[in-house]
Amino acid sequence: MNSQRAHYWFVSPALILMLLIFGIPIAIAIFLSFTDYSLGNKTFEFVGFENYFKIFTRSSYEKMWGATLRYVIVVVPLTVGLGLGAALLINSITRFSEIYKTIYFLPVMATLMAMAIVWQVMLHPTAGSINRLLSSGCEIDYIYNLFTLSFVGQEASESWYGSICNGNMPNWLGDKKYAIWVVCFVGVWQGFGFNMVLYLAGLTSVSRELYMAAEMDGAKSGWERFKLVTWPALGPTTVFVVTISFIKAFQVFDIVEAFYGFGSAGPSKTAYVMMFAIFEKGIKQNLIGVGAAISVIFLILVLSITLIQRFLVERKVHYS
Amino acid sequence: MNYDIGQPIKHFLLILGAIIVILPFYSMISYSFQSQGEIETGKNSKGEKAGFLGTQEKIVDQFCFKSNTPEKEEVNSLMLKMPGKTEREVYNILLKNVTENCLKKPAFMNYTQAFTKAPLLRYLLNGVIVTASIFLLQVVVALPAAYALAKLRFVGREFIFTLVLLCLLIPIHAVALPLYIMLAKLGLTNSYAALIIPWTISVFGIFLMRQFFMTVPDDYIDAGRMDGMSEFSIIWRVMLPTAVPALLAFAIFSVVAHWNDYFWPRVVITGDPDLFTPPLGMRVFKQDTEGDLHGPMMAVAVTIVTPLIVAFLIAQKRFIEGITFSGMK
Repeated sequence: MNSQRAHYWFVSPALILMLLIFGIPIAIAIFLSFTDYSLGNKTFEFVGFENYFKIFTRSSYEKMWGATLRYVIVVVPLTVGLGLGAALLINSITRFSEIYKTIYFLPVMATLMAMAIVWQVMLHPTAGSINRLLSSGCEIDYIYNLFTLSFVGQEASESWYGSICNGNMPNWLGDKKYAIWVVCFVGVWQGFGFNMVLYLAGLTSVSRELYMAAEMDGAKSGWERFKLVTWPALGPTTVFVVTISFIKAFQVFDIVEAFYGFGSAGPSKTAYVMMFAIFEKGIKQNLIGVGAAISVIFLILVLSITLIQRFLVERKVHYS
Repeated sequence: MNYDIGQPIKHFLLILGAIIVILPFYSMISYSFQSQGEIETGKNSKGEKAGFLGTQEKIVDQFCFKSNTPEKEEVNSLMLKMPGKTEREVYNILLKNVTENCLKKPAFMNYTQAFTKAPLLRYLLNGVIVTASIFLLQVVVALPAAYALAKLRFVGREFIFTLVLLCLLIPIHAVALPLYIMLAKLGLTNSYAALIIPWTISVFGIFLMRQFFMTVPDDYIDAGRMDGMSEFSIIWRVMLPTAVPALLAFAIFSVVAHWNDYFWPRVVITGDPDLFTPPLGMRVFKQDTEGDLHGPMMAVAVTIVTPLIVAFLIAQKRFIEGITFSGMK
């Protein structure tokens, strides 16, 4: 091999694949999003912005936005907050920190499809262990009083827990009151360990001297030290963690498929998240124009989040 | 060490969190040993608490029972050997035998059903084939490119690196639909190729290896060139050995992502069970059994989740490193 030319051989496979797997598909997606194309059809027509227009006006897509935004707005702050909280706690304890770290990281490694199905079994309205636990609490006076808030004078039977004890066991996955929030819960359960590890890595770079300096300046309480030293020092980590959590949250799919899937997106479509919509419209119903338009919107969302991240990084969120 | 009042509170909070995190793992393993009745009530047939392992009281395997229910001919032939008994009585004797033969311990029953009700071994094999092929191809594509971007000087290098950084921003979910159309047009859906091809390029892998190669001293490469090595053999015989730690981290990142991936197999595999990957097989198992065989379903879940979890527990540090490497982009 001529070493003068070697770089062509080295770079071209990657270059061709980048074109085939990212470049061309993006172009196709943008192009098709302006058509009414269906797989198998010989012809198609340009429909302008109609597909996009539908996505922002029709009620079936209102469900999609509702489910996606609920999931994102709940899961991002919780995975980031719990990730940070766990990291701070683990960083400040003197013993067993490795064990906690291992445990909290387990859901990140485990196949989400399998674990979501386990949650579903546990959340079964009549046979699940969660509802069994809830109902066994009804028979213990102090638990009943605590959860029905009757110890502060609330009417027990009117409270949420009171109605459960009266035999209205929650149908966690089948009731549209709960469905999307249970999906969120499993998302948080699975995701916060990953953020915790990133924060732990970030914490190792916070220097001891800064804490000493803060203490000399009169930052006596833990909260003040956190506000003065830890939080600013974790700036770059936080920006990154938030970005990646946003992108992951927009991609939620496995949990919905595990719970409902194969045709349904939860009671009254309350868990009709974006990826599910792309899959249902684009692949199952062969409405490729609409599916492509949702894909493009998704791409724009992800890119804007990343641009905001870059902007914040440029402005130097790190003060150290 | 000063006595710290905060420590017990911190441990209390962490233990509380740990219980919630572990709960589904505990339930999954426990259910995989229990009978349907124990799973549904939490109690055994005597009304006692079932416990982690269940009571392992033998129960009748319904599938075994159904496929062995006595036929008319069996009853008739036995009636000849037992004169004086009515057809009903003979039938009941036979039925009793079948029931006894089909009595099994729930743990044994769950795991045998997991492997026989669905081709679970095939799913696992597919998982291994797909994740291994993806990783190998990613390395074959990424290493030379990373080497060229880090150590060779040529026109357009900066441009290509910018392209890599740009592709790093694009999640595969955004291009899933057009990729599916392309594969469908080529007649490649429902094939290993469809499962593997879209992942052969890992821009993250290129980026990671490039950053790593930047730190390898040029002297190593020059020494290789002096020895008359081609650029190609420099990559595999000089650069690769130095890159083992980074490569290992990337391997973990790649294998975990693709063993657990559900979205892409769901898109391109539309019915051929011989091509199901473990998560897809799990989902279809649930569908086929209408979610009623909780014990066997949990046995499937345990089987799918265990390989990575065990590997993780053995090499935690490396795994956490490998997964958080994605935090570098």
